[in-house]
Amino acid sequence: MSASDIETRLAELKQQYVLRLRNDLQTLIAQTRVMSTREGVIEVGALESVRQGLHRIAGSAGSFGYPEVGRDAREMEVWLQTLIEARGVPAPSMLGALHERLRDVHRLLDASPATVVREPESGYRAESGDRAVRVGLLVDAERESLTQALAGFGYECRALPQDATSTWQPDVIIVDTAGQYATSWQPIAEQSRHAVRVLLSDSGDFAARLQAVRDGAQGFFTHPLDIPALERRLRHLVSLPQQDPYRVLLIDDDEALAEHYRLTLKRAGIESRVVIEPADVLTGMRDFVPDLVLIDINMPDCSGPELARVIRLDDDWLRVPLIYLSAEHDANRQAQALAQAGDDFLVKPISDVSLVAAVTARAQRSRQLSLALARDGLTGLIKHPAIKDLIEIEQSRSQRTGASACVVMIDIDRFKSVNDTYGHGTGDYVIRLLANLLRQRLRRVDHVGRYGGEEFVAVLPSCSLADAHEAIERIRVSFSQLECIAGDQIFQATFSAGIASTLDWTDAEALLEAADKAMYEAKQGGRNQVCLARPEA
Amino acid sequence: MKPLQRILHVEDDLSIQEVARVALEIVGGFEVESCEDGLTALPRAEAWQPDLILLDVMMPGIDGPTTLVRLREQETTRDIPVVFMTAKVQPNEIEHYRAIGALDVVIKPFDPMALAQQLRDIWERSHVG
Repeated sequence: MSASDIETRLAELKQQYVLRLRNDLQTLIAQTRVMSTREGVIEVGALESVRQGLHRIAGSAGSFGYPEVGRDAREMEVWLQTLIEARGVPAPSMLGALHERLRDVHRLLDASPATVVREPESGYRAESGDRAVRVGLLVDAERESLTQALAGFGYECRALPQDATSTWQPDVIIVDTAGQYATSWQPIAEQSRHAVRVLLSDSGDFAARLQAVRDGAQGFFTHPLDIPALERRLRHLVSLPQQDPYRVLLIDDDEALAEHYRLTLKRAGIESRVVIEPADVLTGMRDFVPDLVLIDINMPDCSGPELARVIRLDDDWLRVPLIYLSAEHDANRQAQALAQAGDDFLVKPISDVSLVAAVTARAQRSRQLSLALARDGLTGLIKHPAIKDLIEIEQSRSQRTGASACVVMIDIDRFKSVNDTYGHGTGDYVIRLLANLLRQRLRRVDHVGRYGGEEFVAVLPSCSLADAHEAIERIRVSFSQLECIAGDQIFQATFSAGIASTLDWTDAEALLEAADKAMYEAKQGGRNQVCLARPEA
Repeated sequence: MKPLQRILHVEDDLSIQEVARVALEIVGGFEVESCEDGLTALPRAEAWQPDLILLDVMMPGIDGPTTLVRLREQETTRDIPVVFMTAKVQPNEIEHYRAIGALDVVIKPFDPMALAQQLRDIWERSHVG
C-alpha cells in the first residue's frame, strides 16, 4: 500500500470519525444544557458521564486530525475532574459555561474542512501575525505597571483566566510565586497548560531557580522587576517556534545508510544534505549552511576527526556542532576522537526516534547560539550582516523557483527630532515599538532585521510586490496610529518604506539598493508612505 | 533480538481501534488483532500469543491495569510485554504504570503515521542490554 493509499484510508476513517464526534458533542451539549438549567442537585453520576465523553474526545480527536478539539476537550475534562474529585457540586452557571464552550467547539468543527490540507506557502497570508501575543498575569504587586509596560510593547495582557472554560487562552503566563498567589497559583496556571510559564520570585538563589524549573518555568525573574529584560525573555520565548527547519549536513561514505538517515530526518521536518566524498565537505558547508554536521568516523580516505579538524580550520563554522555518528563503542577511542575535534558521539545502530531527538536537541542549541550572535541587542532583530546573507539566500531561491520575494527598507520618519525632543530613551522605545509591530504583523517565514539606527529591512519570501505592498501599507497605518508615551506626553511616529521584488533585480546588492531608493522616494513624497521600486523600462 | 510482529490491541473505542489498525498493520507492517475489552483480551492473548499487547487504560468492565494483573496471573501470558495507551499525561501516572509492570506508555491521541515507530522504539529500547 502506497503512502497516498494510506492517506486515503486515513481520510476515510476521519470522515467516519467526524460524524461520531459531532454526535458525541451534541450529546454532551444536551447533557450540560439540562444540568445548567436544573434547579436542584446535580448528580455526580451525570457529571461523570460528561467527563467520560470529554475523555474519549480528548484521547481520539488528535489522531484524526482535530488536535484543537482534542485539546479543548482535555482542558474541559481536567476542569470537571477537579470538580468531581473535590466532591463539589458545581453551580448551574459553571455548567452553563461548559455548555457554551462545548457549543463553541461544535461550531469550530463545523467551520473546519473535512480534510485538513496544509496550505502552500504562497501569496501573502497572515498567520498568528494579526494578533498580539497574549500574556496572562497572576501577579498582585506590580500588576498595573507590568500590564502597562507590556502593552506598550504590543502585548495583550489580561488577568489569568481562573477557569478552564475561558475562551481567552494566553500564549505566555507570568506568575508571581511570592505574593498572594504563593500557595494557590499552580491549579490556576494548570488551566493554561499550553502557555509558556514565566515565574517571578523574591529570591534569586539557586534553590529558588531549581524550584522554578521544576514548576515548569521557562523564564525566571526576581523583584523588583527588570521590565526590559523580562520583555526580551518573552520575545525570545514566543519567537522560538518561528523557525526554518533545522539543516543537517550528513557525511557518510555508506550511501544507502546516509539516505536512510536523510529520509528519517526529513520525516521529522529536518532538512539534510548528504556528502559522500570528504573532499566535497567544504562546498557542502558553504552551500547548505548547516546547523549541525553528522560525521561517520570510519571513512577510508580520511578519518572523521581529520575531517572535523578541516571544518574547524574555518572560523565561520566554529558555532556549528560536529557530531560523530559511529559504530565505535570503545570509550577510549571516542575520547581520542573528541580530543582532536568534534563535540559529541552518537553510537550506531541508532533508532530513528533517537536520531531525530539527538539531532533536534543539538541543532536547537546551535540555532540559539547563532541567533544570539546575529541578533541586535535592542530589538532582538537580525543584525545587518546576517540580513544581507538572508537577502542573498532568498534571491537565489527566487531564481531557482521563479517566485517573487520582496525586500522592504523601512526608516522611521524624523527620528532625530524624536531623540532631540524626548531623549534617547524614548528614541529606543520607538525603535522597539516598530520592531515588535513588524515581528507581530509579518509572517513566520519573513525575516526582519535592524539595518542601522532607525532603519529596518524585511525579507518576505514567496511574496509578490502587490502583496508586500498591501502588508506593509497595513503596518504603516497601524504604526502611525500607535501612541508613543514619553513621560506625560503622547506623540505619534511614522515610517517611510520602499519595496523591491527579486523578479525585477537579479543581484542582491542591486535589490537592496532599489528598495532603498524607493524608500527615499517615499521620504521625498512627504514621508509616512510606501513606494514600490519599478525597474526602468 | 526477536523482531516485533504480532500486536494485540485492546481498546473499547472502535474508531481508535480502526485507526490503530491502519497505523500498525498498513503503516507498520505488523500483524494485528483487536479486542474491545479486557475480559475478551485474556483468552485471546492466551490463544494467539502476541509479541506485545497494546492496552487502553480506561475501559468499561475491567480496566487496563486490572487486565495487566490478570495477564500476569495466567501462566501462558505472564511474559507478554504490555504497553499502555492513555489519554492521561500526568508524569506520576506514567511512573505508576511502569511500576506495575508496563513496558512503557503511549500517549493518546497518537499520530497514526508515527505509532508503529513508537512501538518499535519501545521494543528496541526494552530489549537492549
